[in-house]
Amino acid sequence: MKTPRLILPALLALVMSVVPARAGGELNLFGWSEYIPQTVIDGFTKETGVKVNFETYASNEELLSKLVAGGGSYDLVQPSDYAAEVMIRQKLLSALDPKLIPNLQNLAPDFRHRAHDPEGAYTVPYMSGTVGIVVNTDKVKTPVKGYHDVFTPAFKDRIVVLNDTRELVTWALYTLNLPINSITPEALAKARPVVAEWVKLVKVFDSDSPKTALLNGDVDVGIVWSGEAALLWKENKKFVYVIPAEGAHQFIDVLAIPANAKNKEAAHQFINYILRPEVSVLISEAFPYTNPNLAARKLLSAEQLANPASYPPGTPKLETFRDIGKAAADVDRLVTDLKSAR
Amino acid sequence: MSPAPVIPTDSRTPHWRAWLLLAPMVAWLVLFVVVPTAILLVYSFCERDEVGRVLFSFTLENYRRVADPVYLRIFLRSIGYAGLTTIICIVVGYPVAYCIGRAREDWRQRLLLLVMVPFWTSFLIRTYAWITILKQEGLLNGFVQQLSPTAKPFDLLYTPTAVVIGLVYAYLPFMILPIYGSVEKLDGALIEAAHDLGAGPLRVFSSVIIPLTMPGIAAGTLLVFVPAVGMFAITDLMGGARVPLIGNVIQNQFLQARDWPFGAALGAVFMGLFALTYWIMLKLGAHSEDSVA
Repeated sequence: MKTPRLILPALLALVMSVVPARAGGELNLFGWSEYIPQTVIDGFTKETGVKVNFETYASNEELLSKLVAGGGSYDLVQPSDYAAEVMIRQKLLSALDPKLIPNLQNLAPDFRHRAHDPEGAYTVPYMSGTVGIVVNTDKVKTPVKGYHDVFTPAFKDRIVVLNDTRELVTWALYTLNLPINSITPEALAKARPVVAEWVKLVKVFDSDSPKTALLNGDVDVGIVWSGEAALLWKENKKFVYVIPAEGAHQFIDVLAIPANAKNKEAAHQFINYILRPEVSVLISEAFPYTNPNLAARKLLSAEQLANPASYPPGTPKLETFRDIGKAAADVDRLVTDLKSAR
Repeated sequence: MSPAPVIPTDSRTPHWRAWLLLAPMVAWLVLFVVVPTAILLVYSFCERDEVGRVLFSFTLENYRRVADPVYLRIFLRSIGYAGLTTIICIVVGYPVAYCIGRAREDWRQRLLLLVMVPFWTSFLIRTYAWITILKQEGLLNGFVQQLSPTAKPFDLLYTPTAVVIGLVYAYLPFMILPIYGSVEKLDGALIEAAHDLGAGPLRVFSSVIIPLTMPGIAAGTLLVFVPAVGMFAITDLMGGARVPLIGNVIQNQFLQARDWPFGAALGAVFMGLFALTYWIMLKLGAHSEDSVA
């Protein structure tokens, strides 16, 4: 649940509203919970003397709500690709000064200049991941390659999937060979019977911690965030991650500076600091997502690089989400309808 | 609210000092009931932009969407779950409340304390504890395996049964406490009189004890039913979010979908239906009392 995570940020916000911020010496960082190690933040403060006020959120939606409500002035935020795209369009972000971020050269080129920020003018990739299949190979002996192998009657009530309406519909669109980012009523009509069959087979819908049901033995297969899958694999090698053959959702979480940031200089400094290989590798150790920093990858151990959830082998078909506008409400209604039909 | 004019001849008209005494209460109600409800109503007629900001332009679109049969079905199911929870709470809670209420006076406080103790722990932690008990490799199945190793493990977690267990567990104390209040006030002389007049134990219970403790049952029903209809955390955690209830749908509009106006419209309709039910029950209650008199 998200509620308890909100308490600490709320307290922090309260404290910060009472203590006036010293201009120049502080960086207000608003990032995902469980994504930036405290050692990295401490290291930055030690080196630069800039005090970091770190607040966290649990979803892009929470970040967007806070940013548009004008509550709190943040110097650095950490949206996912599609949220960054909306923020750029709504002029909520400030353009970066590449001269202040020489370490940009460490990044793999294919993670920059993506559809959400074609010029790479506003965002710097932080970590990336995919949504794919986890199989408990102790229980499942048949090969599982794609969505069709997961949603079969044999796995009825043995499946966990993300509790996310857009994800569910995206997987159905992949099996139908339809585009995932232009969602028309016709496409939804075709996806409807597929999703209707699938929801009957699922045991648990959970976006916050889908690994729990797998670890507890309540389910044997799952479609989850690759970060969760990587942690499962670290825990026990029986949990194998597979990128669905039909195609998979890739997300790129980025760092960006809000338009009304007070300390843009420190924000640039922080971005440059995090792009250093020896710092970036600390993040990979704590949170084993796909690190877009090539220089940092050279410092990773063979075991870390072998984790299929962090660095999937081969060249799978991966696509990022684009903002689908009003169609989101149709997707939401469709899945709510099908879930309540059981 | 302006102070009523002071008319010395009518002593029932409140004096301005009475209003002064009431002021904190009125301010509280205005600030925490009237204002939020008004905001909810205003939002429910608004639109949203692509980042989820509320745009103040009038529309009935949100109410048109609420009328969708999908949401009606979810609403009816929520009432079903809450109704079942309330009935189980009465069946389980009444004997408990009765025993505590009729126990020796020095024992009552201790027994009541036992009912309250779970509240000392966070609601979410108690719900997670239930997950540990009910999961497939959990405490309950471990215990069953100990007793008979061949038994098939129970498949309880992430089922509707688990949701009802969670709801009953969460709201049982809210049923026990008001019934206890009624039982404690029960006049023993009336029960004795019923026995003297030849009523058997069943008759005494159904014709004397139940009617006399009815206010407690009614209060408990309200305290359990209303929050149970809107509950969303238990359906997510213990039900695996498989079957959405109305609380989940509304929560989703405010968080993931960022569609506050639609969430507000759902909330407003929800509130309207409650007010209507309450009003009808009040009318029916008054009517039956009239006919008895």
